[in-house]
Amino acid sequence: MKRKKSGLWLFAVVLSLVLAVGSAWAQETIKVGVVGPRTGSAAATGKAFEEGIKLGTDYVNAKGGVLGKKLEIVFEDTAGAPDKAASGFERLVTRDKVVMVLGESVSSSALAEIEVADRFKVPFIVVEAWADPITAKGYKYVFRAGPCNSGVVSETIAKWVVAEKFKRAFIVAETSDWGLGIAELSKSALTKAGVQFEAMTTERESKDHYTELNKIKAFDPDVVLAYIYGSGLHYFVAQAGEVKLTPKAIILDGAGPPSLWPDFWKNVGDYGNLECFVSSMHEKVELTKLATEYREAYQKAFGTPPTDYKSRSIFDSILIAADAINRAGSTDADKLVDALEKTSLLVTRGTVKFGTEKGGTEYHQWMPPMLVIQWQNKEQVVLYPPEAATGKLMR
Amino acid sequence: MFALAGMNGLVIGAIYALAALGVSLVVGIMNVINFAHGELYILAGYFSYLFANAFGMNFALAMTLAVALVFLFGLLIEYTLIRPTYGNDMYSLILTFILSIVLQNAYLLIFGPYPNKPPNWVGGSTLILGSFYYGNQRLAALIAGSAVITLVFLVIKKTWFGRIIRATSQDREMAELNGVNTKRLNMLSFGLGCALAAAAGVILAPIFPVTPTAGVPVALTAFVVVVLGGMGSLWGCVIGGLIIGLVENFGAAYISTAYKQVFSFIILILVLLSRPSGLFGRREA
Amino acid sequence: MTDRRFFVILFVAVGLLSLLPLGLGVYHLHVMIVSLFYVMMASSWNLLAGYTGQVSFAHAAFAGIGAYTSGILAAKFGLNPWIGVFIGTILAALIGLGMGILCLRMGGIYLSLTTLGFSEILRIVITNEYEITRGTMGLQVPGLVADYSKPAYFYIMLGGAMLTLIVLYKLIYSDIGLNFRAVQNDERAAASLGVDVVRMRVLAFTVSSALAGMAGGLYGHYLLLITPEIPSLDQQFLVLSMTVIGGMGSFLGPIIGAISLEIFSEYIRAYGEYHVLVFGLVALVVARFAPNGLMGLAEHRLRGRRKASRTVSAAAG
Repeated sequence: MKRKKSGLWLFAVVLSLVLAVGSAWAQETIKVGVVGPRTGSAAATGKAFEEGIKLGTDYVNAKGGVLGKKLEIVFEDTAGAPDKAASGFERLVTRDKVVMVLGESVSSSALAEIEVADRFKVPFIVVEAWADPITAKGYKYVFRAGPCNSGVVSETIAKWVVAEKFKRAFIVAETSDWGLGIAELSKSALTKAGVQFEAMTTERESKDHYTELNKIKAFDPDVVLAYIYGSGLHYFVAQAGEVKLTPKAIILDGAGPPSLWPDFWKNVGDYGNLECFVSSMHEKVELTKLATEYREAYQKAFGTPPTDYKSRSIFDSILIAADAINRAGSTDADKLVDALEKTSLLVTRGTVKFGTEKGGTEYHQWMPPMLVIQWQNKEQVVLYPPEAATGKLMR
Repeated sequence: MFALAGMNGLVIGAIYALAALGVSLVVGIMNVINFAHGELYILAGYFSYLFANAFGMNFALAMTLAVALVFLFGLLIEYTLIRPTYGNDMYSLILTFILSIVLQNAYLLIFGPYPNKPPNWVGGSTLILGSFYYGNQRLAALIAGSAVITLVFLVIKKTWFGRIIRATSQDREMAELNGVNTKRLNMLSFGLGCALAAAAGVILAPIFPVTPTAGVPVALTAFVVVVLGGMGSLWGCVIGGLIIGLVENFGAAYISTAYKQVFSFIILILVLLSRPSGLFGRREA
Repeated sequence: MTDRRFFVILFVAVGLLSLLPLGLGVYHLHVMIVSLFYVMMASSWNLLAGYTGQVSFAHAAFAGIGAYTSGILAAKFGLNPWIGVFIGTILAALIGLGMGILCLRMGGIYLSLTTLGFSEILRIVITNEYEITRGTMGLQVPGLVADYSKPAYFYIMLGGAMLTLIVLYKLIYSDIGLNFRAVQNDERAAASLGVDVVRMRVLAFTVSSALAGMAGGLYGHYLLLITPEIPSLDQQFLVLSMTVIGGMGSFLGPIIGAISLEIFSEYIRAYGEYHVLVFGLVALVVARFAPNGLMGLAEHRLRGRRKASRTVSAAAG
């Protein structure tokens, strides 16, 4: 007994030592971490991130890298689950010794990660996690170069609902930090705008929406604001067609990417026609020259034009990170925060400037412009904002 | 809402019954619970998707082929994993539990996390009782599910093979004495159990596209149905399946959508409390 | 094995382990902390499955009960996490007692399915009552120590593991323990020998649930974030595999299984997203070809040697 037991501990200790030596190799590159779901129900975002990471590192390294070294990205899977996100983030910091972390598309995961970033004092640029508290908590090391719920609702969704003169709206939200948060903001915005509405929550993984859809149909809305991420949205749209909620009511996918995923049309069939979604990218609406360059580079690298706009969002964040590291002239966390606060950089979605006033969502936040797009016979037509519109709402 | 819940309950109940029949068959003959039942259901969904979408096969052919392949896979599982565990039902439970996690992760690796949807057999929807629209694909699933269940009953009740199955599940030793090769019968019935899971899978996959972990709730519900209906009882499966389907959907309509599955688990525990061997079942040996 | 020998070995091992924070970095210390959590989980599940033959699928659920009880009390009512962990352990014990009584009349498979149903109900309730539990969004909870420090948590988990092993040892290697094995081997025979089968089974369920509750509570306050992942079937899978691979029904098996598999899975994680798959395949092969796990294999080899030299077997007790 004794012999076996001490042998076991010896084994454990030796194995740990081997692991320690393995990870402590000399650094030839400057490492930046990316967190995002590569597995689980939102894994499509991980794919989009991978594409953006490839284009982003190529772009930065072609322009000389960071601090004279090559930029290396370590992409850690979060599986879309907060616990895995937090431990993955920690692994990036403690095992891979990254100087900064970017990414995340799941708000609940991001809210767990910012605690780790705060604890380990590592700058973290959130890219596509929208919940307000991520920046509203006022953490020094946390930035967001992407949409926030309040921005998306007040700047885009609520204004669009008013502009289209919808009278009755139904809000369906998944029970996540993003879904519940954006639903609350939508409710107050619609109340303010005098639009009648009702609301319900649903589970992200839920597959059978018949009961819910018939309840919604009984309310007879003009528009359904669907805050469901992932393939749950596909089921929702397909079944809304079957119960004939649509096309009388218009569905707005309040997240965007699920309406652009490769399987969208396979899963929803013809019922996908006339569905609307939020996006920051459209092939005919390029806000900057870099956006056009990005489209061309993407086409060259992957053979198709980009669809999921989150690939471009992570690309932007890599540019922001590289710029900050170079301006800070160091990988020291506090110097990086200083540099990030002074950022004024043109990326694909416009010029990035982070808010510096504490006490609200605006702190360390840069909100890119968003579009409302409608599928019209499998063509994307921009409906909102009016200055970018390429067509009118079809019903 | 009432009619809609009833309709949904029927469709889902029929599929539950079908999935549970496979579990019940295996339990009745081999006293083995196949924890990976749901993953075989999913596998059939993937196969039918693959054959129909990637190879452009006719959907009926794709489905048949999918069920046949899962049947063969079931034989393989029995031969490699289950056979050495006879007489130790907990051991086979542990093995198939591990197998189910292995399969889920293998699917993730091979097919990715996206839901995969085989093509619909029919499109559109029908107005039912003048009160609500119901997807035609769901109606078709109800018909197909009922047809397969009827077929299973005919085979078990009317054929020579069915008689052997019934004899063996009633008294294994007696059947052996009468010259039944129980080893081969075990293998065959395990394969058939898997094929029934597969049948449920190909019928439901166009409505609820398959993802790597989508089999878990299906298997859990099938276990609940089997316990409710009694281990090894075929009628129990059908009635249990319909009860669970209806309870879930009425519960969703009138109490809470989110707690849909909880209703069936509560029923399960209540039944087991009052009758530790299920409603229709024989006492476990 | 005598009591004295057990305690000597335990304290020497713990003494050696407590030197680890001196040499290990933050990351490897984290791996060791998680390993110790799994030592607690696998060992206490082993009491249930390995010693009384009750293959429960609710063990992770009981860890969840401990974690959520303590977490909610701390996060919503500001209770001291240590008191929270204590209450969580008691609650897990009480629910475990209830489950044990509920499952008494059920045969093996029915018990497994009932515990599975219980575990699913718990998961659904936690997910849906997000106003209290924050569901899949994860509940942020305060830590057990004021200033976050890995070595501190390492010692806390080491203490927890030690306590768990002592409790289990006292139960298994006492007269009660002999009864446990009798229950597992043949209930009816055990009953006829005057073993109170009912009491044994319920006792095992209660103790094992309490230990899982404590492990879950400590772990939750280490992660600072409690999610439905703690009471999930995946977690149950890990605990089951570790026990099976290490050796079900042996005292050392789950300890070896937990530590080696946690280190192993952390190691293969570096090579991509296949760690669960690899883990599962290893578990499948071991369960199929070495049903008594690594301990079974070791014993097998030892028994070969035992014939040669009687002294070895005495030392290995």
